[in-house]
Amino acid sequence: MDRRDFLRKTGTALAGASGALSLPVLTSCADETVHADSVLEGKRWGMVIDLTRCRDGCTACMDACRKTNNVAFHDDARWDVHWIRKATIKPKDESVGHEEKSVLLMCNHCDNPPCAQVCPVQATYKREDGIVVVDHHRCIGCRYCMIACPYNARFFNFKHNPDWPNKEYPQRSHGVVESCNFCAHLLDQGKRPACVEACESVGAGALIFGNLNDRNSEVSRLATGGFAKRIRDDWGTKPKVYYIGL
Amino acid sequence: MAMDVQFSKIEGRSFPYYLTVAVLASFVLAGFVATLIMHEHGLYLSGMTNRVPWGLQISMAIFYIGLSAGSLVVSGLYGVFGKMEYKPFARIAAYLAMLFLIAGLLSIFTDQGRIDRVFTKPFTYANATSMFSINPALYSGHIMICVLYLWALFKEKGTLTKITSLVVVLWAIGTHTGTGAIFAFVPRELYNSSLLPPSFVAAALSSGAALMILVIVSLSRATGRHLDNELVIWLGRRLLSIFLLVTLYVLLIENAHRVYVAAEHEAGMFFLFGGTHSFFFWVGLITVGCVIPAVLLFIKRTGTSLRWTVFASILVVVGVLFERYLIVIPGLIHPPELFPGWEIVDAVFLEGVASYTVSYLEILQTLGVLGFIGFAFVVGLKVMPLAPNEARALPAA
Amino acid sequence: MKRSTVLTEKNRIRWATVFSFLIILPLGLSVVGFVLSRGQETEVFLEAPDPKWEACYRDAEYMRYHHMDLLKDVREEVVRFGIRGGLTLAGCGDCHTNRDQFCDRCHEAASVRLDCYGCHYYPERVAERELERINPTLQGPGQEPTEIDPAVQDPEQEPARIDPALQAPQEGR
Repeated sequence: MDRRDFLRKTGTALAGASGALSLPVLTSCADETVHADSVLEGKRWGMVIDLTRCRDGCTACMDACRKTNNVAFHDDARWDVHWIRKATIKPKDESVGHEEKSVLLMCNHCDNPPCAQVCPVQATYKREDGIVVVDHHRCIGCRYCMIACPYNARFFNFKHNPDWPNKEYPQRSHGVVESCNFCAHLLDQGKRPACVEACESVGAGALIFGNLNDRNSEVSRLATGGFAKRIRDDWGTKPKVYYIGL
Repeated sequence: MAMDVQFSKIEGRSFPYYLTVAVLASFVLAGFVATLIMHEHGLYLSGMTNRVPWGLQISMAIFYIGLSAGSLVVSGLYGVFGKMEYKPFARIAAYLAMLFLIAGLLSIFTDQGRIDRVFTKPFTYANATSMFSINPALYSGHIMICVLYLWALFKEKGTLTKITSLVVVLWAIGTHTGTGAIFAFVPRELYNSSLLPPSFVAAALSSGAALMILVIVSLSRATGRHLDNELVIWLGRRLLSIFLLVTLYVLLIENAHRVYVAAEHEAGMFFLFGGTHSFFFWVGLITVGCVIPAVLLFIKRTGTSLRWTVFASILVVVGVLFERYLIVIPGLIHPPELFPGWEIVDAVFLEGVASYTVSYLEILQTLGVLGFIGFAFVVGLKVMPLAPNEARALPAA
Repeated sequence: MKRSTVLTEKNRIRWATVFSFLIILPLGLSVVGFVLSRGQETEVFLEAPDPKWEACYRDAEYMRYHHMDLLKDVREEVVRFGIRGGLTLAGCGDCHTNRDQFCDRCHEAASVRLDCYGCHYYPERVAERELERINPTLQGPGQEPTEIDPAVQDPEQEPARIDPALQAPQEGR
């Protein structure tokens, strides 16, 4: 056999062998079900925000969140990250009224999250207890989830975060996307989110948090009692943050 | 009558050739350095913000993907429809399509926040519902089919050429629909539209065909190899003009629908009349990009002139570049209507209409990718027999 | 059979040079890195065993070869399934108080880049951790420790337990 024949035969043999050997790797999916049982079963976390109790000029929830979760603040509206943020709204049609009111905006932890639908590495996903969480070890920073979120609730870390107020919780390096995670690390320890605690400690108590699956919980009662509505639930995202007084 | 088309490498020893290669290589280096800087320090060095998280790189990425469609259509004229007079261009068309797809992937890769993770995680943790998982699979498959197609063309394997040519054209439609779906399947007011994928395909075909015209003509002028004008004029008058009409049609329906239906009216009006992007739309895309070239190509005097065809092609490429920008940016700068009937008067975040200004590092990144395409193409012409010795139109029967 | 038009008799040497350069360059860099790292200490040092923990989770041999798998498994459990209460990085830090002797020494010798500390807090020097306990600041890791303000120090608290052997880290154990 001549050189060309030899090369062709060896090449095919090698290609076939490497294909066969790599078959197990190629056909196995990333092992997502490492642990069958989970502590999160049965819970469906939700929040009710009572805007009638939200005070003008108060920033307790935003400050507590920023401090507890090491959320980046650069004093620049282009790159500041907000897990919970305030806005003041006024009726467009003046004949309806002039009353301005404060609203709080945050990740709505939708039951149909478009962000989780579009994440190419499943770094953003909905946990069993309904919280939409970002796995920052996996996020590649493509920002597609930010495009997909119709509430503009997701933020990218454009710049290194110079502050680290809470050393017991990690901060995020630049290059990944984040949003409110209902302080999942506190929930897993049986505590409540930082914003809820802060709002209560200043005496406003506008943030009510709890398990929507528990029919006796306050949050469940308020959410389903007909008092509360969600932001643009016509989008079909099924948000789990309800508003009273919107 | 059998056409015996000869292909040969270009000599590539002249000073202008070496200068071109050197300039393109320096562009690639500049782009590489710019990407490295942004990867190290953070994307705040770009013009993107938390309201406009996608900018120039993504717009250019979809522009490149679109350009690959048209060149494949030209090579498909020979492979699928058997038009022998277009055989001379089949190889450069297939090669260029492959380069544009690689450039699209490169543009997206260099835009990621964590480029170090993007080489493994999208493969091990792919998400079947995400367009950003589906599309790179489509692009990679497309590249592999282009390689196979190119190989079949080099080896003059008739049946394989026909099969791969058909597969690549169909796959291209899938790729471009998928690219349009990245935006269309997302619940943002100016993105969410079933007409966006077809509009993307139509604009892709227009820009690709126009670019092929420009490449064919410049190649023939630069290498001194013969080119029959009728071939280019046919591409312009019978192919590009039709693509332009389809593009205009889909754009018209899309915008008319938005403005008509009450729910999307405000967003539609913002897009058409609400900012600088509207100027880009009416002047850049509609007038310069579609209407003027279509008119030039349909009128007999200009449509049968090579010069005017080339001019019209340049206008189309520029117009579609504006169109890609218009797909990405206006949807992001327009705020979502969170509280219908209410307006936001004060906030800690940029809740209203945002803005986006390109930064010089992003421009360097774009130059880098363009340089890569140019470099690979120009060096490819020297290393492989891609360019036809001559391109003659078939004599009348 | 058609003769190759890319790889010809004339340009064979040129292609061979390019090809070998592409192969040899990364290999060569690895060899140079390996040679340069000879002689570096790669034993992990246990500075101050904390009486809170009886023993490490597994023995040193296991940890040396499997700590990365362990970290990954715990990470998946905590982040994706919310199962906490097991191993934590802070728990390791109770005994292995010193990042540059616990992690960096071996990782630098092995040339394996770590991505952890851009986000997770693990001080480089033991003094920093003690200072943090006494006088928490906003500084991230790797910064110069601030001076302890005596007014801030709680008089009832025990003074910082700093191993005198570590005052001059260059002198080794």
